[in-house]
Amino acid sequence: MMTALCGALLLAYAGMLALCQGLERHYKQVWGKPPAIWLRRSLRAAGWLLVGLSLYASAQAWGWAMGPVGWFGLLSISAFSLALLLPYAPRLAVYWPLVGLPLWGVAYWLAV
Amino acid sequence: MNKLKRADAALAIGSRLLAGLLGGYVFTYALTAALAQVLPFNRVDALLIATLLSFLFYTLAIIWAFAASSTWRAWLGVPLAVPLALIGFWPQLLERLA
Amino acid sequence: MKQTFTQSMAWLHTWGGLLFGWPLFAIFLTGTLAVFDQEIDQWMQPEIQRQAVPVALAAERAVAYLQREHADVEPWNIALPNERNPGLKVTAGDRRRGISTDLDPQTGEPLLVRDSAGGGFFFHFHYTLNLPRLAGIWVVGLVGLVSLVALVSGIVIHKKLFKEFFTFRPNKGQRSWLDAHNAAGVLLMPFHLMIVYTGIIIFGLIYLPAALQALYDGDIATFYEEYIEEAPHHHGPSTAPLAPLVALGPLLTQAEHRMGPLSGLSISHPGRADALVEVRRVLGNRIALTKGQNMVFDGVSGQLLAGPPELRPSVLTQRVMFGLHFAQFGGYPMRWLYFVCGLIGSAMIASGLVLFTVKRRRKYLVEGRAQGVGDRLIESLNIAVVAGLGVACIGLFWVNRLLPVELAQRAGWEVRLFFVLWLLSLLHAWCRPHVQAWREQLGAAAALCLGLPLLSLLTLAHPWAESTRLLVELAVLGCGLLLGWTAWRVGGKAEQNVARRSPRAVAEVG
Repeated sequence: MMTALCGALLLAYAGMLALCQGLERHYKQVWGKPPAIWLRRSLRAAGWLLVGLSLYASAQAWGWAMGPVGWFGLLSISAFSLALLLPYAPRLAVYWPLVGLPLWGVAYWLAV
Repeated sequence: MNKLKRADAALAIGSRLLAGLLGGYVFTYALTAALAQVLPFNRVDALLIATLLSFLFYTLAIIWAFAASSTWRAWLGVPLAVPLALIGFWPQLLERLA
Repeated sequence: MKQTFTQSMAWLHTWGGLLFGWPLFAIFLTGTLAVFDQEIDQWMQPEIQRQAVPVALAAERAVAYLQREHADVEPWNIALPNERNPGLKVTAGDRRRGISTDLDPQTGEPLLVRDSAGGGFFFHFHYTLNLPRLAGIWVVGLVGLVSLVALVSGIVIHKKLFKEFFTFRPNKGQRSWLDAHNAAGVLLMPFHLMIVYTGIIIFGLIYLPAALQALYDGDIATFYEEYIEEAPHHHGPSTAPLAPLVALGPLLTQAEHRMGPLSGLSISHPGRADALVEVRRVLGNRIALTKGQNMVFDGVSGQLLAGPPELRPSVLTQRVMFGLHFAQFGGYPMRWLYFVCGLIGSAMIASGLVLFTVKRRRKYLVEGRAQGVGDRLIESLNIAVVAGLGVACIGLFWVNRLLPVELAQRAGWEVRLFFVLWLLSLLHAWCRPHVQAWREQLGAAAALCLGLPLLSLLTLAHPWAESTRLLVELAVLGCGLLLGWTAWRVGGKAEQNVARRSPRAVAEVG
């Protein structure tokens, strides 16, 4: 349950991050220059995909009845943490799921 | 703002407040009863569906009271409540008249 | 003056938000704390220790005690040890007003446990504001309704809802407060809409019995019969002959098999031929709130007579809505989600209240006006409601450890001191300049939170013998750090920047 839960949280944050970086003002906030159109579109698509995967992971953690409820909570808290983190530590906000997601992947593979 | 304008504004706000909270309650009560009567379900189901929706109606009624273009129109819910109450309580009304 | 839809909604959001924001913050904060009400109960009654005693044995001990001490006072109620509540408690007579005793589940002997308001106080305050029950329910309902209006109007007036979805710009005075308020509001919108609407629905039939009047002529008894299949129960004393009470073990096993972990049982007419045993489950096995949906057994033969009742879809929908508000499902991870969302929601309300005064101060600065008494009152109420309530809440924990264990009506005294602390915070807020008042009260709350483990160490022999108590104190420490950081930030650079900036035209932000 904990593995699925951590996965759901990481995926939710990563998804929100991608959607956020798909917005011009926040991409500029982190990288200093505006994103290319194709990059924006890819980030948004990736964001929605990750958010969808997060729902699946939530359902693995809580079942399909409670899963969606937990999913909304995870999405909201991830988005809020991201919004608060961005102005203070933009690189950290972006990089930590890049480290966290593979780490979790290893943990998941070990647990299975 | 001079004193007269302030009194006017206060009256308008007070009227809309009452229109929203009290008028809105009356309207929602009648609408909920009407909905409960009209829904083609078992009466437990009809009661629950109508009641679960009622607070959405009440919220919108309060929004209306403040969004309406005049303080008179803000009270629209009250006259509307009359036909709704007739629909909602027609069995009780028939009993009274019989 | 003719206003646009957005302008009228802005007015409604501002004033509805201010006036109803004060009670709403109190409701939201205590509701958030109530998520962990049973854990706080455990912290506040450290005399109760968790023991690995099978449920059947604990039940037998309880029955033996009741037969010895209260053979004629019925019904008997037994609260069984479970995950969130490790104590064994018996009540003879009415569940709320009868004679209650905490027992050691191993020996069946009474325990001396301090009488405490417990986490249950936060739960009770949350839906009644400590007013008489029905009055409180109506007031809280009204606040909830206005909160719905505030949420809807807030969405309407937030012009750049999607553009500024992730936007937070700190250290910019009023702009930052608005950003914070918007972020906490928009990003948690599903939670806010859900929690407020489901909260109102719980007492929905009390507030708006229109459908009950229309379809049942107000006959609530008949409605309840059709709503959920009714289980057999007794009213009044028994005239049946004497008969021994059934052994509870097999009953409880059967009930647990069917319903999951059990929370307790009631026995009416114990020792008589018509005895009934009603078994309750721990809430949270499913989202739908299963309160009152119990299994009833014959108290002599042990035969299952009724339950757990099947729910028709409309009833299930309503119970799911209740369950979404009660937040008993999904285990501790879900509980923590609700807690964090509740804290962020409380921050949304608080930031809105602060935004009102920040905006007003800036407007007065530009216009060269001085503050009136009304403005000072609003400032003081903000401080007392947000920071002062925080002080009172953590103060309740301190009072729980400091009051003598044997004090008569101890729980009442805990509650009284809670309100004394809160009232003192209002007086303090009125007398001190507003920035200092914020700092001092937030700082006091932080200090009380951070000092809690020290208090436990000084007042208890084994303060952290139970993991629940340790976790509660760790959570309190976390809150203390948050409060401390907030106290440190208040009156920091941002406020000074705003004061130094030369007056400009006040822009009405959407």
